[in-house]
Amino acid sequence: MAPARTALPRLLCAGVRSARRWPGFLRKATPGPAGPSGRMLTGAPNPARSEPQDDHDLQRKILDLPLKHSDFFNVKELFSVKSLFEARVHLGHKAGCRHRFMEPYIFGSRLDQDIIDLEQTASHLQLALNFTAHVAYRKGIILFVSRNRQFMHLIENTAQNCGEYAHTRYFKGGLLTNAQLLFGPEVRLPDLIIFLHTLNNVFEPHVAVRDAAKMNIPTVGIVDTNCNPCLITYPIPGNDDSPPAVHLYCRLFCTTINRAKEKRRQMEILYQLPSVKRAEDSGTRRSS
Amino acid sequence: MAGSRLETVGSVFSRTRNLMRAGVLKEKPLWYDVYKAFPPLREPVFQKPNLRYGKAKATIQDIFYHEDRIRAKFFSAYGSGPKAFDLFNPNFKSTCERFVEKYIELQNLGETNEEKLFVETGKALLAEGIILRRIGEARAVTIRHQAAAEGNQPQKDDAWEQQEAREEPQGACSGL
Repeated sequence: MAPARTALPRLLCAGVRSARRWPGFLRKATPGPAGPSGRMLTGAPNPARSEPQDDHDLQRKILDLPLKHSDFFNVKELFSVKSLFEARVHLGHKAGCRHRFMEPYIFGSRLDQDIIDLEQTASHLQLALNFTAHVAYRKGIILFVSRNRQFMHLIENTAQNCGEYAHTRYFKGGLLTNAQLLFGPEVRLPDLIIFLHTLNNVFEPHVAVRDAAKMNIPTVGIVDTNCNPCLITYPIPGNDDSPPAVHLYCRLFCTTINRAKEKRRQMEILYQLPSVKRAEDSGTRRSS
Repeated sequence: MAGSRLETVGSVFSRTRNLMRAGVLKEKPLWYDVYKAFPPLREPVFQKPNLRYGKAKATIQDIFYHEDRIRAKFFSAYGSGPKAFDLFNPNFKSTCERFVEKYIELQNLGETNEEKLFVETGKALLAEGIILRRIGEARAVTIRHQAAAEGNQPQKDDAWEQQEAREEPQGACSGL
C-alpha cells in the first residue's frame, strides 16, 4: 500500500534518531561477535532490563506518530467534490423544511430546493473521516446509528464489513445512559457514534445524539438541511435521502475504518515484536 | 467512571478536559488526543433553536441563471417539450436545453430583439427536426393526428374541440 511504503522510511529514520532508547543489540547488529546460533550473545541482558520502558515508548510512538501528520490515513483521496456531486450529496430538502442552524452550510436555493455547499461538505467530510480513522486506529468501538428503514440493511452490512457495530432498530430508552443496568456492570460504551441519519422516523432528532453528548461520546453525523447539527461533534452537511449518497457514505466509512485497522496492524508488526524474535523476524519481514 | 451529563453546557471536549483538570476523571478517553489534534470547524456546543419572527428572513440566496429567462419563456409557450426527460442519464439534453443553446448561439451572432430570437430559435429547431407544439391551443397529439399534415391540423383541432365540448356536458349529466 502506497501510504505504508511512504510511512516506512520515516519510521525507520525515527528509530535511528532515538537510537539511545532502542535495546542494545540493535546498535551492535552489524559488528559484534556472532555466536554459533547466529544470535547476539552480548545483547541478551539489555532488552530484558529496558523492556517495560521500551513497551511504553513504543505504545506512545504508535499512538503519537499518526497525530503529527495532517492526513495520516490519506482520506482526502477517497472522495472529491465531483464524486460528491455525482452521488447527489448536494441536494437538500425544500426551503420550508430548512433548519435554522443549517443555513451556514447551504449554498443557495434553486426553485425552493436547498442546495448544500459541497466545498464545505468536503472539508467537513475530510475532518470526520480523519477522526474516524484515528479512533479505529486506536482500537475504538464504533457504532453506526440510523433509523431510516430504506438503508437499514446496507448499514448493518457496512458495519459487519468493517468489524464494527450498528444499531438501526428501535433505540430503547436508557441504552447509553443506563447501560450498566441493561447490559451489566462492566460494559464498554462506544468510543464513536456515526449517524447516517440524524432524524428518526417522526422527523425528530434521534435520541442517541443527545445521549452521546450526555455520555461524552464524540459523534460523526450526516446532517441534511432539516437536521440540527449543534450537538454533533463532526457534522457532515449532505443529503441523507438518496441511495447513491448513502451508498457513498457507507463505502467511505468502511474504507477508512479498514484502512486504519490495517495501518495499526502494520505499525504493531513494525514495532511491537518481542526482542528475542526481532532479529529473525525483522530479517524475514524486510525480505518479504 | 466519572462523567458529566450536561449536554447543554459546553462541548464534549470542554467537559472532559475540565473534569480531567479537576482530577475527577482519571483516565484519558480514547478520542481525547485525536480531538485535540484535529478539532472540528465549529465547537459542538448546544444552541437553542429559536424561530425567526416578523420580517427577519434567512440569508440564503436564490440560485438563478441567465438561461432561466429563456427557459421560462420556452415552458410557458411550449410546455415540457416533445421529448420526455430521462433523469437516469447524467448527460441528457432535453428539448428545452437545446432550445436554450440555440437561442444563445443566435444571440451571440448579434440579434437583440427577444421575440425575433425566440421565433428564429423555434425555426432553427424545426430545421433540425424538433417539432414544438404550442400549449394553449387544444393539444391533439394522438398518433392519428400526428400523421396529418401541418395544414390539416387546425381543422382537426376544431373538430377535436367540438367533440370535447359535446362530451363534457354528457359526462357531467352522467355524474349527476
